[in-house]
Amino acid sequence: MIEALRQSTGGRLDLPTGTIYPALRRLEQAGLITGSWSVVGGRRRREYRLTPAGDRALSGRRADWRDFSAMVTAALEGGPCPNPA
Amino acid sequence: MPEPRLISSYLDVLAAQLPASIVEELGDGLAETHRSYLRQGLAPDLAARSAVAEFGDPELIVAGFARVNPARRAARRLLGVGPAVGACWVAALVTSRAWAVPLPARMLAGLVLAAVIALLATSALGTRYRLAARTGAMGLFGIIALDASLITGVALAGVPLTWVLGLAMAASAARICYAARALRPALAR
Repeated sequence: MIEALRQSTGGRLDLPTGTIYPALRRLEQAGLITGSWSVVGGRRRREYRLTPAGDRALSGRRADWRDFSAMVTAALEGGPCPNPA
Repeated sequence: MPEPRLISSYLDVLAAQLPASIVEELGDGLAETHRSYLRQGLAPDLAARSAVAEFGDPELIVAGFARVNPARRAARRLLGVGPAVGACWVAALVTSRAWAVPLPARMLAGLVLAAVIALLATSALGTRYRLAARTGAMGLFGIIALDASLITGVALAGVPLTWVLGLAMAASAARICYAARALRPALAR
């Protein structure tokens, strides 16, 4: 996940990988993701999936961020501010 | 393939402060990161150093887990509602004229209350996982004992039931239920 963030932002968002684990725990406690153990190559691995509530929260946050980003861009560049979806 | 010493030392630092299941998950992630660097052609030692550097300061990881510790979260909530529950009891005991409790009993109750608040505050503010978990669990036990003693005490003393006293008892009963439910995740390893 951290690697995907790093690659998609051209290395500008480069967080320490270890910090993602407490964040995953917090999301799990909030019911937004669910974790389960599996065995991969003889080693136990914890895998996470979005719950339906997590899926809804992600869609909502994405939409909020796009609205916010469009609003700030409009404010900085003087263009028309798009109406929120 | 044996685990490089640098990686096992890093995991030892985490294992000294975090539960085994969390360390196992971190260990798998760290091993995968190490393997990824090996696949890129780095020498084993350099791959281990790069993996550990990519994971970051272990103290930051421990502090991150301490913040999401269930006991710490429960301690914060209980400290938040504590003044309201306390105010209910003060109002109930004053309006019921039930202050005539022997001084030693009052002093004991005050000491227990101070100890419980100190334990919950240590857990709520702690950045060390085990300390936050232990003090939080002890604080939860303390809250249960304190509230159960208050409810039992007024029942045994035959204090007339008023709506204020009923409200205070209901608040304590709710707090007992919350603390009891929070104990299981707080004690989980």
